[in-house]
Amino acid sequence: MNLMADILINVIIAFLAGSLLLGLHRKIMARVQKRPGPPIVQHLIHSLKFFFKETAIPKTVSKVFYIGIVFILALIWIVGVIAGPVAHDSLLILFGVYAVYKIVEHNSGSSSGSPYGKLSCVRAVLSAATELPLFAAIVFVYLVTGTMNIGEIITYQSVHGPLIFTIPLAALMFFMLIITKSPYSPFAITKDKVLVSGFETEHFGLLRGFMLFSESIAWYVMLWVFLTIFFGPLTAVGYLIGMIVITFITGFINATTPILSPNHSVMTQITIGAICFFGTILMIFTGVVA
Amino acid sequence: MLDYMIYILAFAVGSILGLVYSYKQHGEPFVAVTKLNAPAAVISIVGWVLAFNSGNVILSAVGFILAGFIMGERPGYGRKETAIGLIIAIIVYLLLRFTV
Repeated sequence: MNLMADILINVIIAFLAGSLLLGLHRKIMARVQKRPGPPIVQHLIHSLKFFFKETAIPKTVSKVFYIGIVFILALIWIVGVIAGPVAHDSLLILFGVYAVYKIVEHNSGSSSGSPYGKLSCVRAVLSAATELPLFAAIVFVYLVTGTMNIGEIITYQSVHGPLIFTIPLAALMFFMLIITKSPYSPFAITKDKVLVSGFETEHFGLLRGFMLFSESIAWYVMLWVFLTIFFGPLTAVGYLIGMIVITFITGFINATTPILSPNHSVMTQITIGAICFFGTILMIFTGVVA
Repeated sequence: MLDYMIYILAFAVGSILGLVYSYKQHGEPFVAVTKLNAPAAVISIVGWVLAFNSGNVILSAVGFILAGFIMGERPGYGRKETAIGLIIAIIVYLLLRFTV
C-alpha cells in the first residue's frame, strides 16, 4: 500500500480507537463509582465538537507559541503512529516523541499566561519522573533482545516468547507510564482539578479539538507500544482485547484512587521505578533472565 | 488496515446514530431499563453476528453499524441487548470455527 495512505489510515484508526477507548475508560470509572456515566462514544463526539466551536484567544497569551504548540502536539503523536504501527521503527523515536510531549505539555501551560496553566507547566517538569522508568524499561528491552527496532523485537518474541514473562518488572515500569497518562490518574498532577484543566485550561475551540485529537492518538500509541514490546506478535483481535483490558485496569485504578499531591506522586513513581529497575538488574545478574 | 478502519468508522457512526435516535425516543432523566427491547435485541444479534462472522468487509461494516447503533444508545438503554448480541455472535463464531 502507498505509504501516505498507510499513514492516513493508521492515524484515523488511532484517533477513533483512542477516542472510543478513552470513552470506555470514563464509562468504567463511572460504573465503578456507581454512576451511569456518559456513552462510550461521548469522548469522540466531544473531540469533534471542539473543531466547530469558536476559537477565542486570551489577551495574555504568547500568541505564536500558544497556537503553534497545539499543532506540534498533534504532529508529535502522528510521528508516534508513523514510528510505531506504520513503520515498526526504533523505540528511541517513541521515547523521543514522549520526551517532546513533556516539553509541549510544559510550554502549552507557560504560553497561556494563565496561573493555572503556569502551575501545570511547573508540575509537568516534576512529572518527568515518569520518563525515567520508561527509559529504563526501553534499556532492559534492548539488553534482552539486543535491538531497539520494534520489528526485530516482535521477531525476537515470536521465537523466544513474550517479553512480559522474561522481564515482568520492566513491563510494570512501562505500565506505570500508561497509568500516569490515563485520564484522572492518581499521578496526573498536571491535570489536577485544582488547576481547572491544567495546561489545557486556556485552549478553546479548534485548539482544544487538536489537543483532544492528540490525546486519543497518544493513548492508542502507548497501548500499542506496550502490547507490542511485551506481548509479542499480536493479531488485530489480540490488540483490541489487550487495549480494552488495559483500559479496564486503568479505569478501575483511577476510579478508586484520588489524585496524589505532586511530591507524593513523584516519590511513588520513583520508588516503584527504582524497585522494578533493581529487581530487573537482579534478575539479569542472577540468571533468571536468559 | 483499510478494513479495520472501515469497521471502526462504521461502529463510531452507528454509535452516534444510536445515541441521537435514543435521545429522540427517550427524553426523560436517567432510568436503568430492566425490560428487554425485543426489536433492539434482534438488531444487536444481527449486527454482532454479521460483524464477527460474515467474512465480507461490507457486510461486517453493516454489522458494526447495527451493533454500534444499539450499543451507542443513551446510558441505561441497549445494555442487555448488546450483551445478548455479543454472546450469540461469539457462540456462532466458535461454532463456525470448530465445527466447519
